[in-house]
Amino acid sequence: MTVIKRNGTEVEFDLTKILAAITKANATVEEPIRMTPVQIQRIAEQVELSCAKLGRSPTVEEIQDLVEDRIMAHGAYEVAKHYITYRYTRSVARDASATLMKTIDEITNVDARASDMKRDNANIDGNTAMGAMLQIGAAGAKAYNEVYLLRPEHAKAYRNGDIHIHDFDFYSLTTTCCQIDILKLFHGGFSTGHGYLREPQSIQSYAALAAIAIQSNQNDQHGGQSIPNFDYGMAEGIAKTFRAAYRNLLIEDAEARLDIDDASGPVKDILAAAEERSGETAKLSNGPAFDLAVAEGLCAAFSIDPEEARHLTARVRRRAWKSTDRDTFQAMEGFVHNLNTMHSRAGAQTPFSSINYGTDTSPEGRMAIRNILLALDAGLGHGETCIFPIHIFKVKEGVNYNEGDPNYDLFRLSCKVSAKRLFPNFVFLDSPFNLQYYKPGHPETEVATMGCRTRVMGNVYDPSQEISYSRGNLSFTSINLPRLAIESHGDEAVFYEKLRAMMDLVAHQLLDRFEIQAGKAVYNFPFLMGQGVWLDSDKLGPRESVREVLKHGSLSIGFIGLAETLTALYGCHHGESPEVQEKGLAIIRFMREFCDRYAQEKKMNFTLLATPAEGLSGRFIRMDKRRYGEIPGVTDRDYYTNSFHIPVWYPIPAYKKIQLEAPYHALCNAGHISYVELDGDTAQNVEAFEQVVKWMHDCGIGYGSINHPVDRDPVCGYVGVIRDVCPRCGRREGEAVSRETLEMLRKRFPEAPVFHGIQ
Amino acid sequence: MADKTYSERMGSGVGFERIRRITGYLVGTMEKWNNAKRAEEHDRVKHSLSAHA
Repeated sequence: MTVIKRNGTEVEFDLTKILAAITKANATVEEPIRMTPVQIQRIAEQVELSCAKLGRSPTVEEIQDLVEDRIMAHGAYEVAKHYITYRYTRSVARDASATLMKTIDEITNVDARASDMKRDNANIDGNTAMGAMLQIGAAGAKAYNEVYLLRPEHAKAYRNGDIHIHDFDFYSLTTTCCQIDILKLFHGGFSTGHGYLREPQSIQSYAALAAIAIQSNQNDQHGGQSIPNFDYGMAEGIAKTFRAAYRNLLIEDAEARLDIDDASGPVKDILAAAEERSGETAKLSNGPAFDLAVAEGLCAAFSIDPEEARHLTARVRRRAWKSTDRDTFQAMEGFVHNLNTMHSRAGAQTPFSSINYGTDTSPEGRMAIRNILLALDAGLGHGETCIFPIHIFKVKEGVNYNEGDPNYDLFRLSCKVSAKRLFPNFVFLDSPFNLQYYKPGHPETEVATMGCRTRVMGNVYDPSQEISYSRGNLSFTSINLPRLAIESHGDEAVFYEKLRAMMDLVAHQLLDRFEIQAGKAVYNFPFLMGQGVWLDSDKLGPRESVREVLKHGSLSIGFIGLAETLTALYGCHHGESPEVQEKGLAIIRFMREFCDRYAQEKKMNFTLLATPAEGLSGRFIRMDKRRYGEIPGVTDRDYYTNSFHIPVWYPIPAYKKIQLEAPYHALCNAGHISYVELDGDTAQNVEAFEQVVKWMHDCGIGYGSINHPVDRDPVCGYVGVIRDVCPRCGRREGEAVSRETLEMLRKRFPEAPVFHGIQ
Repeated sequence: MADKTYSERMGSGVGFERIRRITGYLVGTMEKWNNAKRAEEHDRVKHSLSAHA
């Protein structure tokens, strides 16, 4: 007799295999209820007999059904139960592995342009060796995690599209993101794991090491990396560069004036004496006392007249300022170039990086802000718009919001640059839910965002540390809100009950994942924890558990498609009716209250997230379209509307969109963003652009940005709005231009690239 | 490089790069976007700047 295996091949019937399977299940139950070897032998023989009676070759599944029946017939229910569970787990694992092989096959053989799955994350190039390897690894990890790490109810909800567990490939490995306090990291130097770096001494090194810090930390986490205090951090480097420039130029000028070969000895003494007398070192913001002390020192040491000495120091100061400014611009340009070109995660992508700045009003901080904005404005080598880092300008009344505020000029500049390059985005420190943490003189209490929108401020685990520095999200899972609405068939009470149950399920799943994360030690995160980047990790030894310090991070419940949810429940979305806007707010408030209650109960930072949803934008709706068909305004597009946004296709004035979305920012404490879409010409109007940003501020938006088209013609290098015809070289998409035209244009626009055709 | 294939007219078959914001961050050009995000971008309408209420 033969048996038909799952892959269709036939093998000889083997009684010992049946014996082995039953024996295994038998061994997992308590001794007293076990079957005897004789009973097992009899079951196996009965199965063989039944198979023989079939008159054809049985399949493996049929044999297993027979085994189950026979064990039950012997009254060994516990053994049967274990046998069934074993069979089920094996079958899930087998399915997962079959799906996995198909996925790997697609990653291997299909061009990313033809494979949506390979474009799930726009920043990973699935056509490259390392990109594909990363995707294969992710597919393998996901298959394993689903079968071995998720509870069945969580696995089912995830598979069915009730929920989406983000970064599921990293489920067992690490946490999402972190705001790196760059100053704390730099003080005393740090180690990347591949070498020790001394404390930087110039703006160039500050900028270079900032990029390295982002790169190093990104290898310990699966999400993005951000610097919350970019201006305050770079300011220290600028101060060091200025001090060195002042000294060197003083030596140079003294040598030239006195015609001597080496003035470094006396100048060193003069500076030391001036520092002693004025109580400060050479810096951008020195009052007259410092330069006066230097001038007097020059008089005494070189016997030159006081007037000339004062003149000389004034000139040294001007030149030092200028050279520091130049060095800063180059350092910022290098930083931006680094972040757009440095490879990470096995070379498949550049780090997801963000920098927050705008509130440091010291002359050094201002120099940093101005130059990073100018570097962003300049673009990359051929004038390309930089993709990374995400720039976030912190807007604050009394600092930069109003005319007359010390950094108002920089806020204006940020609007001008954003109108050209889409960045900076703007975070509003005056919105009540941000202002409540703000303490003047404590930049760590200024809200900073991960560029995508993640925000971690409140801290129920340790209320004494409600700061943005050194913290981040641990993990997040999103709820398919429209499906709950569809399945409630217009019954509000049913909807809320379903929502509560789903949030409960997600909260438990987040806790399960936390248990895995909390099982790690410092050595699992050599940079994040080993170098003390994460809050309080500097108090731990390399083998200590990270459980407690991780609790500074957030566990976030996210959602997608409030607009479709409202349409399914009430017939229209929140942009269409004030009553429905109230309903929308009620739903999101309900979700926030759930998170707050859970946070208090567990003393962990459960927060509500307006999910970014890149890969998720199409996943839920594809499934829901199959289940429920095309429901107008709900499942009739290819994507669910992001978080609480007014649908992108709905015509609405900018001011009204901002007004309607602002109250959701206050509720979504794990992160939020609102966009306004402007056409190219409006965006070029800086006054109008600034008015929109200010309206966001006044309406209580937490984080916002303005979208407008940024196009580029790679042939002539033009950046701006290109409709059908390039305004610079006059070609249409796909058309060629003559070499003479390009050469002429290159004379007028020296930054235009040299175009060699497709290579 | 400077051989026969180096055409006197350049740019044939080369498209324009179009950079858009995806979820808070940008991506190089839209070729890399997944289908759902492409559909969403396609549907986006501009918001007018009519005076505040």
